[in-house]
Amino acid sequence: MTSSSRTVDVVVIGGGVVGCSILRELSRYDASLALIERHPDICEGTSKANSAIVHTGFDAPPGTLEARLLAEARELWPDVITDLNIPYLQTGAVMVATDDTEQAALHEEVIPKAEKNGVELQRLTGEEVRDMAPYVTERAREGVLIEGEGVIDPFWTTRAYAESAVRNGAEAFLGQEVVAIDIEPSKITLRTSAGLTIEAKVVVNAGGLWADEVARLAGDDSFRLTPRKGEFIITEDELNVSQIILPVPTKISKGILVTPIVFGGTLLGPTADDIEDKRDLGTTPDGLRRVRDGAAKLVPGAATASSIRQFAGLRAVSSTGEYIIGPSKVSRNLIHVAGIRSTGLSASPAIGRYAASLVRDTLGLSQRTVFHAALPEALSEEHADEGEVVCLCRSITKGEILAAMRSPLPPRSLDGLKRRTGAMLGDCQGNICAVRIAELFAKHLGRDPLSLEKHVAGSRLFVDGPDGDGSAGETRRGGARAAELAVTSE
Amino acid sequence: MTDLYDVVVIGAGLSGLSFLREWERIGADGSILALEYGDAVGGLLRHALPAEEFEEASQLLADAASGRAEIRCGTTAVGLLPAMNRDDPHVILTRGAGGTTRVSAKRVVLASGGLETPREHDQISGPRPAGVVTPIFVHQALANGLLPGRRAVVYGASKLAVVTALRMATAGIETVLVPPPSSEVSSKDLAPVTVESPSELVAVQGYARLEQVVLRRDGTEHSLPADTLVYAVDLMPNTHWLHASGVATDDRGRVVVDDRYETSLAGVFAIGTVVAPSIDHAHSVAMGAAAAHVLKGDIA
Repeated sequence: MTSSSRTVDVVVIGGGVVGCSILRELSRYDASLALIERHPDICEGTSKANSAIVHTGFDAPPGTLEARLLAEARELWPDVITDLNIPYLQTGAVMVATDDTEQAALHEEVIPKAEKNGVELQRLTGEEVRDMAPYVTERAREGVLIEGEGVIDPFWTTRAYAESAVRNGAEAFLGQEVVAIDIEPSKITLRTSAGLTIEAKVVVNAGGLWADEVARLAGDDSFRLTPRKGEFIITEDELNVSQIILPVPTKISKGILVTPIVFGGTLLGPTADDIEDKRDLGTTPDGLRRVRDGAAKLVPGAATASSIRQFAGLRAVSSTGEYIIGPSKVSRNLIHVAGIRSTGLSASPAIGRYAASLVRDTLGLSQRTVFHAALPEALSEEHADEGEVVCLCRSITKGEILAAMRSPLPPRSLDGLKRRTGAMLGDCQGNICAVRIAELFAKHLGRDPLSLEKHVAGSRLFVDGPDGDGSAGETRRGGARAAELAVTSE
Repeated sequence: MTDLYDVVVIGAGLSGLSFLREWERIGADGSILALEYGDAVGGLLRHALPAEEFEEASQLLADAASGRAEIRCGTTAVGLLPAMNRDDPHVILTRGAGGTTRVSAKRVVLASGGLETPREHDQISGPRPAGVVTPIFVHQALANGLLPGRRAVVYGASKLAVVTALRMATAGIETVLVPPPSSEVSSKDLAPVTVESPSELVAVQGYARLEQVVLRRDGTEHSLPADTLVYAVDLMPNTHWLHASGVATDDRGRVVVDDRYETSLAGVFAIGTVVAPSIDHAHSVAMGAAAAHVLKGDIA
C-alpha cells in the first residue's frame, strides 16, 4: 500500500452516471476536481445494469424534486447527446392495457399523472396499438403513446460524462474506496483503501447504493438505502420490437417492459424485489420466469426467445421515499446526492447541473472561460493497420479496442473495456477473445495480466503467471508447468 | 476491383482445412482462398491440440503446413453479399490488418465453425463473477502461461471437456469433471482429474471471483467449492455474421444445406459445425473432404 495525498476544491464520490454527470457539470467552473470510485472502473454499479431508457418522467410522483429534475432533463438531453455523441434512439413508448383493471388505471392514474408532469400522451385504441406495434399481444385493448421516451447507451453516457470532465481538468481516482471521512469547519479529509488522502473544501456524495454508508462515515445516519433487485434477459432473436412496450403500472411496480437495445437486441425486464444484500447481483430461476411471463404478456414472441445474456441490477430505494439532494446535517460542505431510485440515467443531466449549482453557491465558484463541451468524434479506428477483428461475435477490431485504450480515461477492467467497445457482448460472451484482450491491456496499457480484473476488486482473470510469481506461492509449481505446456503445445 | 477466386472458404478450422487438403489431393482446378479469423490455422480447437482422441485433427494441422492454398490469417469475413444474378460472383466483406476489403468468389464455402455455448446461453442462475469460462479461454490462457484458476469444475462429458480437464490438472489446477445428467465420460479413470457422478449445474455463486457451483443430483442440491467453472457442454453455429445475407438457418441457427452441402443460396455451400454443431467436431473432417469432391464437380 502506497500512501499519497492530494488537495482539491471538490471531490465527487462515486463514478456512476450521477457522479460522472455532476463531475462534468462541475468542470464548467473554476475549481480543481477529483472523482473517487471504489471499483476498478467507472459505471460498475446501478449505471451498468438497468433498462437504458431515457424517461420523460410522465409517471413521476408530481411535485417532487425527482419530477422537477426529470422535466429539466428533457430539455437538457438533446445537447448532451449531441456533445457527447451518445448512441440514442427516440423510439417512443407504448403503454398497453389488456383488461378492465388496466384500462381503469390508465384513465384514472396514468393519464392524469402525465398531465400534471407536463408530458403529452397520445391515446390509442387496441387496433392502433397493433398497427403501430404489430408484435404486441392481440389482447391489447387500449394504450397510450409517450413519444418522448427513448433508449440510450448507459455505458457510453457514463463514460462520456467522465471523459468530458477529465478533458476539462478533473482527475479520476479509480479502485479507491473511501474508508474514512474527517470533517472540519474549513475542510473535509477523505482516506481511501488504497492509502490515498484527499483534502477538499466540498465533497459530493454520489455513492449510489452505498451513499448511506458514505454518509455514515461522516457521522450522518439520516437516511438508509436498500437495494431493489431487477433481473433482466437479453435476447437477440428477431422480435422486431421497435418501441418501448410498457405494462400499466401497479401500486408496487412499473412492471416488466420490453425494450429495444440501442446497440441491438431486445431487453426484457426488470423484476422489482426488495432484498438485503447490496452485493446480490444474482439472477434466479423464479426471477427470470417472472421476466419471461411479464414480457410475454405484452409481446408473445418473448416467451420462447433464446437468451444471449441475463443480469441483475440493484437500484437504491431511499428510506425518505425521495431523491436526497442537499447538504448533510453534519456539514454544509458535504452534499448528498442519493436515493436516485431507477431514474438516475434519465435525470442525470439535470441532477448534475443542480448538484453543481449547490457546490457553486457553497464555494462561490465562477464559470471557466474555456469549457470543452464536446468530446472528439466517437471511438473509431485510428490506424488502418489495426483492422483485424478481435471480438469475433461482434466484429470489433483491434483498432476500436486500441482507440478506447488511448482515450483520456482508458478502461481499467475487462468489463470496462466491454462497456466502451461492445467487445465480448456477443454469443460467446467474450470467451474467445478475452485472453487476446488481456494481451492488448498488457501491450498497450502496460497492465500485468495477473492484475487484470473482470469487474470488481478481486475479480482477477488469472491467478498465476509464467514465472509462478502470482499472489500466492502455493501455485508456483502450477504456473511453471503451465508455461512448460505452452512451450510443448507450440 | 476486387480479387476474384473460383472458391473462397470462410474459416480455416477443421472443416475448412479438410476441404483444402482434399481439394489439393484430388487435383481440383481453380483458384482458391481461405479466410481465417485466428492468427494461425486450425480454428478454435487448435488451442487444445495436440490431444488424445483428437489425432485426426492434429494430423490435419500438421498437413496444413505443407498445403499450397492461399490462406489469409487475421482476416475475418464480416459479411456476405450474395450474387444478384446467376453469373455474378458473391462478394465477401473482410476485416483485417489492411482494413476493410472485399473478395469475390464464384463459389463460397461457409466453414466458419462454432462458438462454445457459454453459461449465459443456458440461463444458469447466479451472479456474473470472474472465473466462469469455456474451454477456449482456458486453453488460450494456459498457452500464454497464465493459470486461469486453482480449483476448477469442468462441466461437460465431451472429449473436449475431458481434454480440458486433463490439461488443467496437469497445469496444477485441482480439477473436478462433472458430466451433465444422463451423460457419461468415456473413461472413468482420468487421474489426477476427479470425476463426479452426472449432475445438473443449477447455479454459480460468488461476487468477485467464482466461489462455488451448485449441483443437483437425484433431486438433492449440493455445492462444490471452485474458483473456476469451465462450461463445456455444447457448440452453437457461428453465423452471426451471416444474418443479413439471406442464407437460411434453422431454429437453432444451423445453416441449412442439401445433400450436396449447398445452402439456400446457389453457389454458397456450408460444412462443419455451422451445419452440424458438435463440441468435439465429430463430422467436420469428413464433411470438408466430401464437399471438396462436390465443388470439384460443380466448378468443372
